[in-house]
Amino acid sequence: MVRFKHRYLLCEVVAEDPRYRHCIHERAVTAAAKGALARAHGDYGLACCSIAFTVKYLNAYTGVVLLRCRKDFYRLLWSALPLVTHLESRGQRHPCFFHTLHVGGTIRSCQKFLIQYNRRQLVMLLNSCTNKEERESIQKSLLGCSLQEVEEEQFQSAEEEDDCAETD
Amino acid sequence: MPRGLRAHARCGRSRGMAGFAELNVPALPDRKVLRGVLEAAARLGYSTVAVNHVIDFKEKKQEIPKPISSSELLPSLPMIPGKLKPIKIVTRLTLVVSDPSHCNVLRATSSNIRLYDIIAVFPKTEKLFHVACTNLDVDLICISVTEKLPFYFRRPPVNMAIDRGIYFEVLYTPAIKDSTMRRYTISNALSLVQICKGKNVILSSAAERPLELRGPYDVANLGLLFGLSESDAKAAVSTNCRAILLHGETRKTACGVVYTMKKPQPVEEEEETLPACKRAKTQV
Repeated sequence: MVRFKHRYLLCEVVAEDPRYRHCIHERAVTAAAKGALARAHGDYGLACCSIAFTVKYLNAYTGVVLLRCRKDFYRLLWSALPLVTHLESRGQRHPCFFHTLHVGGTIRSCQKFLIQYNRRQLVMLLNSCTNKEERESIQKSLLGCSLQEVEEEQFQSAEEEDDCAETD
Repeated sequence: MPRGLRAHARCGRSRGMAGFAELNVPALPDRKVLRGVLEAAARLGYSTVAVNHVIDFKEKKQEIPKPISSSELLPSLPMIPGKLKPIKIVTRLTLVVSDPSHCNVLRATSSNIRLYDIIAVFPKTEKLFHVACTNLDVDLICISVTEKLPFYFRRPPVNMAIDRGIYFEVLYTPAIKDSTMRRYTISNALSLVQICKGKNVILSSAAERPLELRGPYDVANLGLLFGLSESDAKAAVSTNCRAILLHGETRKTACGVVYTMKKPQPVEEEEETLPACKRAKTQV
């Protein structure tokens, strides 16, 4: 058996106002990515990338999305992603852009990276605290919760679907 | 300045991994917005950012202002995530030249020009492009991306510029904003890349708002649209920018730049980072 190889692009949706992040929906992300693809590479590029294109994971709180596409064409997708300028949801345009964090061959590798990345983000948050309560609450969450479990739970549903062998 | 010394600026390419750099953030009059852009650049992972002052000679007599110092701009520099090092802010001057007489400013010694780290020119005619490539003491030549190319690039001046260690700049923000601009950007960039074979090109943003910036890896991939190969595209946001900074430093010093840094193990007191063959050139 030969499986189709994919590439997973782990992106962060950066918006001016963090409140917009709640408006991130799978459909809006797909539409934005496909629109950018059509603008950059035309019908051919859109057709190539839409073979296996899906949004595999979406976290509206941190604004992280995981996009999948065939390995042969991920360059087309990646070079089009910088052209995204806004997400559209319910007739409203939210200006934002995609910042690619990691490109991986499996969901698992992206997950590993994301855990590491989120850990670093927490430390950065800790540095930028202004008052004591904030600092303590973040310190608590840093020490108290096992990040790994939370992340794995969120990823599980996506991973089961895709490569069953890798979930343990 | 002898050419051998200038060649030093290009040694940066061979040495280790250079951080990402964004060499064009316009010095907006609104400091708050500028601060926002700089902070966004730090968050995206750029380690060097150049604040750009543009002088257009078409608009009557313009004085060259003193560059804004980074301490005046930001009391505390934003950190690069994952490195725990603050970003480096340098200054850059861009001269938009449309007449040969405008170039005289560059030859004057006692002006504010010496205070800038990087000097760029934006030639409007083929003749000035030729002069900029062959004669002018600059680090960077800007390529027009918002209109149809006013002239064709020819190989001799471009090759000359590459020999002198001068780089070409392509802006990507117009391509993100608008569809017509995108076509001009791509076609102009392609014609440049065909002539210089992907060497000595940098990509920068000229972002006036934080949302117009893109991450360094995304920019490198955008470079694929401009006909750069994968390694050239990556160099366009990292090593080439570093080479420009070094090239700019050679203007301030008497002859070239030699960086010395201590090795982690205290074996030798002084450590020349350049290999012997390169060092020999300094004595030319």
